This record gives sequence, structure tokens and C-alpha cells, in this order.
Amino acid sequence: MSELRKDPIVGRWVIVAPERSAKPREIKQPQEERGKICVLCEGNESNTPSEILAFRNPGTAPNSPGWQVRVVPNKFPVLRVEGELGRSGVGIFDMMNGIGAHEVIIESPSHELDLAFLPIEQIAKVLKAYQARMIDLANDRRLRYTLLFKNQGERAGASLAHPHTQLMALPITPILLKEELIGAKEHFNYKERCIFCDIIRQERELKSRVISEMENFITIAPYASRFPFEMWILPSRHNADFMKVNNADIAGLAKILKDSLLRLAKALSNPAFNYIIHTAPYRRPRHDYWTTIDEDYHWHIEIMPRVTTPAGFEWGTGFYINPTAPEDAAQYLREEEI
Amino acid sequence: MNATILVVDDEESIRRLYQLELMDEGYKVILAADGQEGLQKVEQENPDLVILDIRMPEVDGIEFLDRFTQTGKKLPIIINSAYTDYRMDLTTWAAETYMVKSSDLSELKAEVKKLLVGKMEISTNGEGD
Repeated sequence: MSELRKDPIVGRWVIVAPERSAKPREIKQPQEERGKICVLCEGNESNTPSEILAFRNPGTAPNSPGWQVRVVPNKFPVLRVEGELGRSGVGIFDMMNGIGAHEVIIESPSHELDLAFLPIEQIAKVLKAYQARMIDLANDRRLRYTLLFKNQGERAGASLAHPHTQLMALPITPILLKEELIGAKEHFNYKERCIFCDIIRQERELKSRVISEMENFITIAPYASRFPFEMWILPSRHNADFMKVNNADIAGLAKILKDSLLRLAKALSNPAFNYIIHTAPYRRPRHDYWTTIDEDYHWHIEIMPRVTTPAGFEWGTGFYINPTAPEDAAQYLREEEI
Repeated sequence: MNATILVVDDEESIRRLYQLELMDEGYKVILAADGQEGLQKVEQENPDLVILDIRMPEVDGIEFLDRFTQTGKKLPIIINSAYTDYRMDLTTWAAETYMVKSSDLSELKAEVKKLLVGKMEISTNGEGD
């Protein structure tokens, strides 16, 4: 029988309908074509805008081969750094200019290997690049939030197979993040504890939704997972802000990220997925802004395999229908040999 | 000699409009109704610049860019689409510029001029094909 589950942070409802579930091996993923000429590959640096950041071999020049991770502005950005915010009202409507930043983090010089199959040290460099860009963009007082998101596979919105992540720095805090912040704050006001820390504590006790735990991080299938095989990676020690993760923990995060993505790749035969990093917004002092984010929020990565397609019901209600119980997904993923 | 511009767009009215406007500017203009014909025209007519629509039947603008890149040729390409969302498609980086279609062609014509001047300078410096 299906059941309705409520996400304890944002109050979103999910219908878990396992009778409609397919076993992971039955969920076949179309394999995408590789080997097309790619602007992100090493040797094609002249086809991208000039790099903002790169981890390079000693003695190599910017915008030339010899890099391990490279960050470039999006050639055709959706939001631009240049200009004024120009906040204004048009009747009851609010608007502002399309100010922000839109960057691409190229995760490897090679086109062939997805992030999950890169060495842990390489993944750590990718995470360091995420962090460095987020810290740099924090200096721009117009920006409120930087979202790092990865689209892998055509079904997840990726246009190129070359492993990459995108970054968008925004002049507003996105609504999904706000919902999490508000939910976490309400819990903190009532219980004086971080809701994410409470979730981690409970999941550790129950064990049924824990996928792996190592090096100060835990991967779980969230209780109210929106998607089959959804995973969240959370730091076991309380920390609101991804920018404050130290080097040792970056190495640990690289390890568990690889572990989680490998399990997913093996269980579902390289599915398309998105992942996003949700972290505390840039704290700009302003009216009515709370100061407890460091206590009540907890940064994390949400990995969302794209094996189902949200349709009319989901758009109309904000509910999700998940045909795979998170406990089943966690068990499959936990038992996967990697 | 006047520069040659290839306009690849599936809408005949757009092709005709662009042809008239660009001929007024003194360019030679050739036309293609989809990406496949566009690729053939690149081979046959050796244009100096391409104005490329994205949504077209059969071979669309993205496929055109992918196939063109594989030829190893260098040519300034202006994506000229009614849609902004292809900005998220990194395949479009093979083009020089992404411009949203407008009834006022002054911005497009200015971009054509700018890119052709840039192409001339590269050729003069001996770095061109």
C-alpha cells in the first residue's frame, strides 16, 4: 500500500508507492554518445572564455593544456556580473536586472570518465574549486547565494558529456533554499537543535536509510525522498556553511561523494542525475534577517537520479510520487559492491 | 571583395528579410533552409560568417554546430534564435555570439560587422585558415 510521507524540514509531501516500483536492474538507462568534439576537453582551451581559476601542472600557462580542474565563465551566461542591480517595482511586480555569475567548472581534462570514476584526489580538487569560487563570489555585495549544480546525462539537462558542474551566483536567495532555512529555523526555535543533526542522529539509530558513513560524512536516502534512489550527503559534525569545510573534510567529502556516485552508477547502470549543494546564503546584514543560521542550518549535497519524470500531478500539487521506498533504495545501494 | 554571409533558418520570411537587410549593407548573402543544407553551403560557397537558427527540422542548429566543429574549420557563427534557453546548452560555445531574434536587426548587423572585422584582422596577421 502506498503511503504519504512529510519532509520534516520543508513540510513537502511525497507519495511513496512501492507497488509501482521497478527493481534497480530493470531501470535501464540510455547510454549517451561520447567522442564528439568537445569545447571542454584539454587542448580546446581557445574555444572557451578565459579561465577564472585552474589547478595546473607547474610551468603551464593559463588557457593552455596542463590543467586538472578548470573554471571558466559561461560563454553565453544567463546572468552577468556587469551592471547595477536596479531593483524596481512595476505595479505589484518586483524586478531587477539580470545580475549574477554563471560559470562552468570543468572537472577533468578528459572527456571519457564521469566524476564517479575519477580518482579521489581529483574529486577533492573539484570540490576545492567549488569552494574557492563560492568564497570569491561572496566578496560581491550584490550577490546573496551561489548555487553549484551538476547535470549528468541528457535526461538531467546536460548538453555535453564532458564531466562538468555549473555555478550560478544570484542576487536573491532561491525559494527552495529559503524553505529549508525557514523550516530549520522553526525547528531550532522550538527545540534549540539543528533539524539536520536530529535527522542524522535518528537515521544512525534506525540504520535502514543509511547508505554509507565515512570520514565525518554520512549518505542517507531521505525519509521523504522525492525520487527513486535520491541520496543526501551530510557532514556528521554540524556545519551550516560549505565555505567553512576544511581541507581534511574536503578529502573526506571527495571519498564519500565518489562512494555514493559509484553505488548509484552500479545500481542503475549509470543513470542521469542532478546534484546540488545547499549551503547557508551569504550573510548580508539587513532588516528582519536572522542571525542563527550558523546554529540552525546544515549544508548538504542532494543527489537526484532522473529515472522518473515529474508530470501534471507533481506540478499541480508540489507533491512527488516516488515508486521506490527509500528503505529499499538504501538497501540496494548499501549492498552494491564497489 | 564583399564578405559572404550564410543565413541558415527554416523560416522563409526570416531568410528573405535577412537577405534584403544584409544586401543593403553590401554583403553577398546565401541562404539555407536547414542545418544539412547549411553544411553543404559552407562546403560549396565558403562563406565568411554564418547566422544560424537553432530550432529547425532534421538537422537543427545544435547538430550543425557539432558537425561543423568536427570539420576542424574556423568560421564566425552567430546563433540567432527566438529562444534564450539554449544558452544553457554548452554545445552553443562553438559559436561566437548568441543573439535572440528581434525585429530590429541593427544589433545583429553591428555584430556581423564586428566579427567580420575581427576575422579580417586574424587573416591579416596570418593566423587564419
